[in-house]
Amino acid sequence: MKRISIDPITRLEGHGKIDIFLDEQGDVANAYVQIPELRGFEKFCVGRQAEDMPNLTARICGVCPEAHHMAATKALDRMFHVDPPPTAKKLRELFYSIFYATDHTTHFYALSGPDFVLGPDAPAAERNILGVVKKVGMDVAGKVLKMRHDGHSLIKMIGGRAVHPNWGLPGGVSRGIDESQRQEIEARGLEAVEFAKFSLKILDDIVLANKTYVALITGDVYLHKTYNMGMVDANNCTNFYDGKIRITSPSGKEVAKYDCAEYRDHIAERVEPWTYLKFPYLKKIGWKGLVDGEDSGVYKATPLSRCNVAEGMATPLANAEYKRMYETLGGKPIHHTLATHWARLVELLYAAERWVELARDPEITGKEYRTLPTATPTEGVGCVEAPRGTLTHHYAADERGILTMVNLIVGTTNNNAPICMSVKKAAQKLICKGNVNQGLLNMVEMAFRAYDPCFGCATHNLPGQMPLEVTLRGPDGAVIEKLSQYM
Amino acid sequence: MSTLIIGLGNPLVTDDSVGLRVAAGLRERLAGRSDVAVVDDYWGGLRLMEQMVGYDRAIVIDAICSGAKPGTIHHLATGDLPTQRSASSHDMTLPTALTFGRQAGLRLPEDEAILLVGIEAEDILNFGETCTPAVAAAVSLAVADVLAILDPIPQPEEAGALIA
Repeated sequence: MKRISIDPITRLEGHGKIDIFLDEQGDVANAYVQIPELRGFEKFCVGRQAEDMPNLTARICGVCPEAHHMAATKALDRMFHVDPPPTAKKLRELFYSIFYATDHTTHFYALSGPDFVLGPDAPAAERNILGVVKKVGMDVAGKVLKMRHDGHSLIKMIGGRAVHPNWGLPGGVSRGIDESQRQEIEARGLEAVEFAKFSLKILDDIVLANKTYVALITGDVYLHKTYNMGMVDANNCTNFYDGKIRITSPSGKEVAKYDCAEYRDHIAERVEPWTYLKFPYLKKIGWKGLVDGEDSGVYKATPLSRCNVAEGMATPLANAEYKRMYETLGGKPIHHTLATHWARLVELLYAAERWVELARDPEITGKEYRTLPTATPTEGVGCVEAPRGTLTHHYAADERGILTMVNLIVGTTNNNAPICMSVKKAAQKLICKGNVNQGLLNMVEMAFRAYDPCFGCATHNLPGQMPLEVTLRGPDGAVIEKLSQYM
Repeated sequence: MSTLIIGLGNPLVTDDSVGLRVAAGLRERLAGRSDVAVVDDYWGGLRLMEQMVGYDRAIVIDAICSGAKPGTIHHLATGDLPTQRSASSHDMTLPTALTFGRQAGLRLPEDEAILLVGIEAEDILNFGETCTPAVAAAVSLAVADVLAILDPIPQPEEAGALIA
């Protein structure tokens, strides 16, 4: 059997490796995504004070610490049996909306933008954000950096620190905002709405106006008919901060809607011998392997999944874009993996609009932002939608608040099985009789990157960028050909 | 000349924390200096570039894995070694980020005024709140190293000129 290795996956958070195994004919037999991840977070947190969790778990990741901080804080609300006052809930959602808009911006322009705006066949040296600037115009650089700067500044203003917030407490938050801060947040939010509209226009002008790109999105190379998962509000609209978890079938029918505390009734985790990442699946449907369809418990939890499980977006402009996406791509649900990038921009607009709505809420500057917990801590589950999937934190503690159990299902883990399936399918379509070239391999990577995966991202060190290396081996293991490129 | 010193790392991951430890040592030694700021950070690429805005010079301290003896101190230029975050879905290489920032009109240190100080790590894959012994021993050396970069000892002819 021949083996093709793509290592590391360029522009992937953390460090991952794709192994593609070819059969005797040179066609794809199997594809596996292998992730060297830092392990042990769930173990070493046991024995520590529960209140440390929002700060400790934020260190799991340098990209989405706000998501871990918020899921941990919500788990502590439940564990300490305390309901935060309305101002605290709104402040948390405001903070989270700003984080979302900032995170989705970076992803679109630094990752998916280069693939989409320049096209998968563009030379590797140009397929980066500088290539986007060259094609879209110089002013895009200033807009992206301003959006990031505003987001990070406001996250620091509200959450105490720019990267790892230290603000969430069981029962609320450690401080509120005053009127001048509120005005600043609102003003930046209005600019964020304009920025989101500008980003959707880029998608229109450059991606949707190009028939080749549209054919790539709607073709069957990146098609997977799986179940979908996402958080919804009382009206079944997408919500990132709070609500119920809704699961819909490949045909779009609701099959479950539950409070996050019931997650173990719905989600089970499969362990495979070749990787230490777990594969969550729908318990009631069952594990049938890395396959899609109504009978397979594999589900996705991505921006597109959140759109698929919802009835719409709760803000007017985003809802109009939501409808346009489904009208353009042939109705709900959408199973084309690459449409995830479009869904991400719809969410960017929603996050920006929600940011403005909350900044204008009369309660947002309220002084009641903490309910002091008085009950004995027991157990709690907290969920938020991380940008890259539903994030679940589950803790149990003794009567002193010392942790006795920690279980985390991080956003990307939900998508572990679909990621492997997407890579395999793309490879099957794009590698034939052992013929491989750089463009085809990039398209395999595109399948992966659509999930915005975040694996083992708690560490970094020099050196960083390594070449994308592809090794073709014959059945005896001898190297037939080596390809490499720097991204 | 304004200088920014950035310690990069994760405080919970054994030797990956070394950049933060060196920054902590420098913060103590440089307290009261108005021309030098010392910060901790956790990202390379874009965010690292954004931190440098407005400064004339930047010194970045991070763990490095090059195969050298643990604790070895390396000096690198921006083009030599981008951080691992540069291979990120959320980021880009430091040189790319610097070009991007300059395109956006940000005032950034020139490439030659950006120095990366790497401390060779032994373990960056396991959780731990202390460094391995060789890396821990290098912290004070790296602090002295950065202080020497910051304020070089005058060369004989310069010293002579000063005396004169």
